[in-house]
Amino acid sequence: MHQNVIREKEKKRRKIVELIRINNIYKSFSNHQALEDVSFSISKGVILGLLGPNGAGKTTLIRILNQIIFPDSGEILFNNKPLHRKHIEDIGYLPEERGLYKKMKVGEQAIYLARLKGLSEHEAIQRLKYWFKKFEIESWWNRKVEELSKGMQQKVQFIVTVIHQPGLLIFDEPFSGFDPINTEILKQEILTLKENGATIILSTHNMASVEEICDEIVLLNRSKKILEGKLVDIKQHFKKHLFSIEFAGTSSDFLNSLPENYKILSQQENYNSISLTVQITPPSQPNDLLNFFIPNTQILSFQEVLPSMNEIFIETVTS
Amino acid sequence: MNKTLLIISREYLTRIKKKSFIIMTILGPLLMAALIVVPLYIVHKSEKETHVLVVDDNDYFLNKFTDTKKVFFSYLSGDINDLKKKCISGEYDAVLHILGGIQSNRSNLYYHKEPSLSLRGTIEEQMNKIIFDKSLIDSFNIAPPLFATLKERSQTHIVALQIDEHGNEQKSFTEINRIIGIVAGFLIYFFIFMFASQVLRSVLEEKTNRIVEVLIASVRPIQLMLGKIIGVALVGLTQFALWIVLTIGILGAIQLSTPDFFQLGETTEFVSNIDNQAQLTPADNSIALQKTNILNEINNFYSFSFSTFIIAFFFFFLMGYLLYSTLFAAVGSAVDNETDSQQFLMPVTIPLLLTIILIMPMAEDPNGALAWWFSMIPLTSPIAMLIRIPSGVPLWELLTSMGLLVLFFFFCAWIAAKIYRTGILMYGQKITYRDLFKWIKY
Repeated sequence: MHQNVIREKEKKRRKIVELIRINNIYKSFSNHQALEDVSFSISKGVILGLLGPNGAGKTTLIRILNQIIFPDSGEILFNNKPLHRKHIEDIGYLPEERGLYKKMKVGEQAIYLARLKGLSEHEAIQRLKYWFKKFEIESWWNRKVEELSKGMQQKVQFIVTVIHQPGLLIFDEPFSGFDPINTEILKQEILTLKENGATIILSTHNMASVEEICDEIVLLNRSKKILEGKLVDIKQHFKKHLFSIEFAGTSSDFLNSLPENYKILSQQENYNSISLTVQITPPSQPNDLLNFFIPNTQILSFQEVLPSMNEIFIETVTS
Repeated sequence: MNKTLLIISREYLTRIKKKSFIIMTILGPLLMAALIVVPLYIVHKSEKETHVLVVDDNDYFLNKFTDTKKVFFSYLSGDINDLKKKCISGEYDAVLHILGGIQSNRSNLYYHKEPSLSLRGTIEEQMNKIIFDKSLIDSFNIAPPLFATLKERSQTHIVALQIDEHGNEQKSFTEINRIIGIVAGFLIYFFIFMFASQVLRSVLEEKTNRIVEVLIASVRPIQLMLGKIIGVALVGLTQFALWIVLTIGILGAIQLSTPDFFQLGETTEFVSNIDNQAQLTPADNSIALQKTNILNEINNFYSFSFSTFIIAFFFFFLMGYLLYSTLFAAVGSAVDNETDSQQFLMPVTIPLLLTIILIMPMAEDPNGALAWWFSMIPLTSPIAMLIRIPSGVPLWELLTSMGLLVLFFFFCAWIAAKIYRTGILMYGQKITYRDLFKWIKY
């Protein structure tokens, strides 16, 4: 009885912070199943990485969230209420296949797209002026889109995605077409949006940026969800007990007496130090490994090597 | 502001700001005005008075020629070699030298500046009549006054009278009806094709630009499609309105600068002809009485209600456009580029092309089976009904045709919307008819 109450309370607490709840979504097209029994939730104020190989069903799921298409069965809750047309104005969507009217002027077009999201003309101009200044593209206001470089068009597209300050932002491959400098600017903007309270779904194949900015991960493969959780938890779950050690000196003879439950995977001799990657077989602990090294040499660095998202992705998808 | 209205206004404003729209809007009335003005101008030019000096060696043709509006005859006798110089000095435009008197079958026409084409015909015709009359009088010994009376009595007019289902008689001008029907049919065909193609290109543009997914994350696909179709329709109506206003403006300006320009001999002749006929059929002398009211005059001039025709023209243009533009929009959404659109456009445009090919047979027999069925079938009725209306169509047939067209439009819009909402998200795939049917069912 007492436990039940606690569980209910816990449920309520969790529900409040939940922005999106996806329950048992099925979607099939004429010749294939695009989504099969997909369920997960997204908490408010996190950046969720929606990952998966091509054709896994990411875009289908994103389009369902944007109510561009509709699931065959299952339900989606937005702020605990069934997803409704009115929620459209609280979502900002940057599709993977995106573009602008080439013959239209940049400012005019941005106002139009902002007004389609429900802003008044006055409000749209005010906010656009701010963003154009921030991205240093004010001088392009009266130019035609076709005169802009691809990177600049991407900036305009990003601005019109966030202009109506939605609670949920969905970015599908936001970094494609950006140079490293602009990719960095964009990452910072996404993090700023998160700080300001937005919930963000990021779908990308760029695993480096996933590690940098995502809090949580959902991995889809062949229309099913195969992995879900916090980025740090997932890394822990997939860890191979690898450690990198760098020690001073050029002599590695003492390694011959390394016990069997430590396996050296790689060894690299530097100018006056040696770096190793060692795998520990449980129940041995990292401290045991250190205890072996300390009497023999001077340790310069010691660090656990967690799997990269890239490795986790390949491992889970190909297994 | 409603989002559909926002889409309509964008579609409308970007189009009317385009150079091509402005050029078309200016060129259209200029072309139309030119079509009216140039022939009149040519007529005016050739209407220059021509003075002909008749030199008849036998004096038989003396005072026998009748002056027309353009040609005036004078008579002199003397040495032709001196007299023919009078056309060089400009005293006369041409000198007619009749060599052989009444038996003559050859005469010479001297001129310095080339006279109008019709002059020789006019002279030949008059001479032939004079010679023929003379031969008749001589052969049958008819007294000239009696001959004149006989000639006057044998003048005849044919008045075509159409009887409607209530037994009312109306003067009918079959030829004019046919021409008006054909012109209206062609216009509708042209406008449907022009504006429906604009919708197709616009849908295709949004798809190839990849802006469509951004848009349908904000608005429903059906809003986007309808906004586009309505926006283009408004552009079409604006263009019509501007064409009409500007054409009237241009013609009005010409009228002001040269008041006599539209006062044409032939037109007045034609109108007086109608007056004559009105007097010949006392049952219908309203024409002369209501001459002050232009619309009435037009209504009476044509054997059908001109206002009905105008209303029908706009209705069938608008509905025909709506019907075809929804189908064109569906095609545009399903393909990736304009070349691919051809295979799906074919079946859609075949009814339209067929109607245009059969426009002549239908105009020849506006109440025949072919025209009747084509004016009922929704895909062909916008053109076929316009061909029939000038020849008179029973009200129930007109209303049935309109009703069928509206119903069929809703059916097509429903199908098109289903194809559209799926098609716009399909990139880089070769779409087949089977896919289209799946999208409709789905």
